Amino acid sequence: MSGEQTFFERNYFLLRRLHSLSGIVPIGMFLIMHLTTNSSVVWGAINSRELHDTAMDRGVATFQHEVSFINNLPLLLLIEIFGLWLPIAFHAIFGVYFAMSGSNNVARYAYQGNKRYALQRLTGYVGFVFILYHVATLRWGWSWLTPGGTQWSHYFASSTLAAALKGSGGEWSFAGVIVSLGYFVGVTSLVFHFANGLWTAAITWGLTVSEKSQQQWGRVCAALGAGVMLAGWSALFGFVFLVDHDRAVAVEEQMVVEKYGPEYLEKLREKYDLEPEMQASAIRDAADRPYPGPAPKLDD
Amino acid sequence: MSNTATNGQPSSAAPVPTRTVTFRIKRCDGPGQPTRWEDFKVPVVPSSNVISCLNWIAEHPVTASGQQTTPVVWDCSCLEEVCGACTMVINGKARQSCSCLIDQEAPREGDVITLEPMSKFPVVRDLWVDRQRLFKGLEKIKAWVPIDGTYNLGAGPKEEPDDQQMRYTLSTCMSCGCCLEACPQYHKEEQEADWENAFVGAAVLSQARLFNAHPNGKVLEGERLDALLGVGGVNDCGNAQNCVKVCPKEIPLTESIAAIGRAATVHAIGRFFRGK
Amino acid sequence: MAGNNKRVIVVGGGLAGLAASIRVAEGGVPVDLFSMVPVKRSHSVCAQGGINACNEVARQQGYSEYQHFDETLYGGDYLADQGPVLEMANWAPRIIDLLDRMGVPFNRTSEGFRDLRLFGGSLFKRTHFAGATTGQQLLYGLDEQTRRFASEGKINKREFWEFLWPIIDGEGEDRRCVGIVAQDMRTMQIQAFRADAVVMATGGCGIVFGKSTNSVICTGGAASRCYQAGAWYGNGEMIQVHPTAIPGADKCRLMSESARGEGGRVWVPRKKGDTRDPTSIAENERWYFLEEKYPKYGNLVPRDIATREIFDVCVNEHMGIGGENMVYLDLTHMDPHYLTEKLGGILEIYEKFAGADPRFTPMKIFPAVHYSMGGLWTTYTPGDYQPESPAGIHNPGDESPASTAVGQGMEFGAHNNMMTNIRGLYAFGEVNFAYHGATRLGANALLSCIFDGLFNGVSVTNYVLDGVAEDQGAATVSAAVFDHAVEQEQAKQAQLLATVSDSGSTDPQFNPYTIAGELGVEMTAASTVVKTGPRLEQCLEKIKELRERYSQVKLGDAAAWTNQSLSFTRALGDMLIMGEVIAKGGLLREESRGSHYRLDFPDRDDDRFLKASVAEYNATSGESTIMWKDVQTALVKPKPRTYGKVEEKEPAREEAVAASGS
Ligand SMILES: Cc1cc2nc3c(=O)[nH]c(=O)nc-3n(C[C@H](O)[C@H](O)[C@H](O)COP(=O)(O)OP(=O)(O)OC[C@H]3O[C@@H](n4cnc5c(N)ncnc54)[C@H](O)[C@@H]3O)c2cc1C
Ligand code: SF4
Ligand code: SF4
Ligand code: FES
Repeated sequence: MSGEQTFFERNYFLLRRLHSLSGIVPIGMFLIMHLTTNSSVVWGAINSRELHDTAMDRGVATFQHEVSFINNLPLLLLIEIFGLWLPIAFHAIFGVYFAMSGSNNVARYAYQGNKRYALQRLTGYVGFVFILYHVATLRWGWSWLTPGGTQWSHYFASSTLAAALKGSGGEWSFAGVIVSLGYFVGVTSLVFHFANGLWTAAITWGLTVSEKSQQQWGRVCAALGAGVMLAGWSALFGFVFLVDHDRAVAVEEQMVVEKYGPEYLEKLREKYDLEPEMQASAIRDAADRPYPGPAPKLDD
Repeated sequence: MSNTATNGQPSSAAPVPTRTVTFRIKRCDGPGQPTRWEDFKVPVVPSSNVISCLNWIAEHPVTASGQQTTPVVWDCSCLEEVCGACTMVINGKARQSCSCLIDQEAPREGDVITLEPMSKFPVVRDLWVDRQRLFKGLEKIKAWVPIDGTYNLGAGPKEEPDDQQMRYTLSTCMSCGCCLEACPQYHKEEQEADWENAFVGAAVLSQARLFNAHPNGKVLEGERLDALLGVGGVNDCGNAQNCVKVCPKEIPLTESIAAIGRAATVHAIGRFFRGK
Repeated sequence: MAGNNKRVIVVGGGLAGLAASIRVAEGGVPVDLFSMVPVKRSHSVCAQGGINACNEVARQQGYSEYQHFDETLYGGDYLADQGPVLEMANWAPRIIDLLDRMGVPFNRTSEGFRDLRLFGGSLFKRTHFAGATTGQQLLYGLDEQTRRFASEGKINKREFWEFLWPIIDGEGEDRRCVGIVAQDMRTMQIQAFRADAVVMATGGCGIVFGKSTNSVICTGGAASRCYQAGAWYGNGEMIQVHPTAIPGADKCRLMSESARGEGGRVWVPRKKGDTRDPTSIAENERWYFLEEKYPKYGNLVPRDIATREIFDVCVNEHMGIGGENMVYLDLTHMDPHYLTEKLGGILEIYEKFAGADPRFTPMKIFPAVHYSMGGLWTTYTPGDYQPESPAGIHNPGDESPASTAVGQGMEFGAHNNMMTNIRGLYAFGEVNFAYHGATRLGANALLSCIFDGLFNGVSVTNYVLDGVAEDQGAATVSAAVFDHAVEQEQAKQAQLLATVSDSGSTDPQFNPYTIAGELGVEMTAASTVVKTGPRLEQCLEKIKELRERYSQVKLGDAAAWTNQSLSFTRALGDMLIMGEVIAKGGLLREESRGSHYRLDFPDRDDDRFLKASVAEYNATSGESTIMWKDVQTALVKPKPRTYGKVEEKEPAREEAVAASGS
């Protein structure tokens, strides 16, 4: 080797492998978890532990439980930073750098593998932009970027999400259509990127060597991808088309009241600058609603 | 003179051309010179291939528009797809020109065949490119079995037929460069100084696997893998798997890449624990 | 050891050149290796079938190195000096071992031993093989070792360099080779290189015949240049025509003998002009003419016999497929899987270039020019085995009269082994005329190439280190000698380039490619399977005419960069001279021997022609003269070469002679 090696050159192998690994653990694992969690807004409908009248309410409640659970994890911020944001930043920065070393020749060599190779890079870029938007709007509270300026709140997970996707109050706006489509593309890209990345990682690490095993593993990855894709799509479909904004708020407020009491709800209203009228009606509904059974257990 | 002494070779009774095919050839007089396209109308017979047509053009260097030009320069040797010399980009794809039959590539009247030099290697002239980097890659990974010398020291190790078959398959790589031309991760590097950190490509990775698979070639496995852990090594593969699709020798390149990936994983972990 | 800036030049990076480079470099002398193509692409890569060597299995069945030697002599119709052949056969097993150690993937038996196949000219399995691309695998094995030496700076590879001329210093007996002039085929730079010895390993000359089984670089140009510079050329007329090739538009692709070795059967329909699908022709309607005429060897008769029989069936009896010059080579009775495993590579070639699958359709084949037994004349120092009288017939199981110790046939390390008549100029491999006499046995060429490099490479090293006095090394030769040689080549080039006309009118009369095409057709027609005196005379006339036209040749490309036309046209001049040597030798050899079959002299004539034809070039007149040199037959007494042919075929030949009226 000629001359001094840079840090990057000296640790090239490690960085490459970390890049590969970080896509699976933690990022890929998180993706699976995140999308299954979110899809609970749909699949929660069959959650027999939630005793709401309508399937949709059960879904909203299930999702709310999940969100609350996560938000109550100890050291959440640290977990997020080290388990998620840093890995994603690392994966993205190196990913872009590595992807720039490639060139697209699908036009000449239109093989399936080559198309996937090109898509892997494309979906990486798209996915990264999507994640930035997603986190900025919903986590960092850059609500000026959401249709209708909605601020997402983990106390009102479904309703604020629906509003952040479609427009204020969960009503469709033009920007909402764009954002929802953007979510569709973003989620789809990420799931493809993950499943295909999982397939190539097995080659990179040398877990699948023979062509047969690569094919077999390809089927496994495709099935996994399809499953995660189903979760992602159903979540999105749920928030965009199934969640009734007002009913969702009702369910969520009730859960806040049950858990933390009405005063806390007032505080939340203040903090999030929630519209009092609607909330008033909602809380009345919630208070009036007869619960046929014991309230679901929540840790307090 | 009796006809028995004319030896009845097919060459003396060459079949009459059945039709003509247009060749569009990308030409360039040398490094740094502008490129241009020239068309040629070439008469073909059923057994014609790209080389026989280039031969015809050499004998009749006149373009389709009647312009006198120079014979096209290209590289070839064996004409039976075993030496690897004659790789070109034919109708957009890298392949051997000697095994490119005109009746298959341009079966219909009016079909055009475009010939371009490979894009991943510096052009010497016309269709001839300089593939030295590929051979340098083989040197980099020490693609040989380190024998003790040519003295008479008895036979080599015994080998299972399956292992032999595997090595034989890998060993048919003729360094033609098709796999490199098609690889989206492999780029042209004009300067030799830049080869060190540029991707070695599938062919070289596969050769590393070949020599690691030999009981005595294995002695250098560590050195080979060290050379492949860095920038331009096995990690630069993006798994597009074009290489295996275009390899004229049908070498299982993606298997080789995975095998080297595996060996590299093990090697790197070992190195980590041994502290280098 | 070689602190004395002595160097060796090897021209040619085929098996012979690489083996020589490795051996010399290992001996401590730095090597400059020149090749027109990257050495990995040398013509040796084409060899398919295998490489012969006595081995344990055959040995226990009664075979021996001595019998390999005996077969080679018999196959070559006793035209080869016997000592070198004995040494080569003795070294064959050692060479296989070495290649094995280099990692050549020889096919294996289920127990892991090297597998063997049957090849023409032997009743024993003695041919080692690596799939269906043995030459490729051997070449790669040596290429890899060469790369290793190159990376250590012991071999300096100059690829895409063309050898133009040997530099010879001194006069008469004192002549010695002190370097070469070569040209970078890309930059067109012409340069002289000093060396204390030069090894020519430039392969054969098949392109003289236009379409052959050879690679396009096998023009024989390099050998011809040495010849014109004063080296002798031996047995030029001995050209092997391979019985089974696939006729094609640009070349005739070989269908290896291994196709017959693995059980391939040669036949034509019994009915003349039968155009039916071959698979629908019943067994009793097929004429397996080789099996019928040669019950003992069957389809595995040596090449020249197979060639002539196929030729006879097609040209004289008009029994070729559909009346054309082709016969069937049939493998379809065999298990397709077995075929794929054993012959995969060559079957692929047929499929690729002829468009049909030989596992299910019989192949159509016809003979094509394949190998030149002739080459630069070389000498040697005889070895220790000197029997009182030449041995008679050797049968399997007989005790070998000679031992297999080193130096039985040729003295190991003697300076003059495979040296041409010019001191310091050696010829190895196909360009060397030494081993194969009048026909080469299948799978013996690869052996002779590597043997030359390994065994005689030591001679080169010894000569350079001990035979060239310190104060007489090439480094001491005056620069003027080298400058002069370069100027000569530059002048030649300038002359050719000056013929490029601006107007662009290219008269086919003087088009180099047209002249080459005509030479090929003429040589193939007059000087291959069947030759006659008058036809060869006509051929010499034609060559004269072509040489005349060549003197006014018009080049189509004036470029001073990567000018392939220039390189080809220059070689064409050398090919014409080569053609003349081949035809002239054929004309003067008034007998039939091995590959050389004269219709007007159908018998071997040991009294007059148990001699090598040795051509010498007169640089002033441009003429070739042929001398006859005795062949050394002290080890084995020549016997008739019949391969157990059933004798009822003779009359047919006489009829053919009569019919030819010449
Ligand atoms: C199709 C085919 C199949 C064969 N199969 C077999 C087989 O199964 N078994 C067997 O024993 N034999 C076989 N042979 C014969 C055998 O392959 C050759 O005889 C042998 O490979 C010749 O090797 P070589 O080293 O002498 O020369 P080559 O391999 O021909 O190499 C010649 C070298 O010289 C260089 N060269 C030539 N001219 C110049 C110049 N002017 N300047 C610089 N360099 C130059 C070339 O670049 C090349 O590197 C076969 C031959 C053919 C054609
Ligand atoms: S698999 Fe790797 S080496 Fe092969 S084409 Fe793709 S990126 Fe290139
Ligand atoms: S691996 Fe295949 S495509 Fe690549 S150089 Fe070798 S033979 Fe050519
Ligand atoms: S000329 Fe050798 S591969 Fe085509």
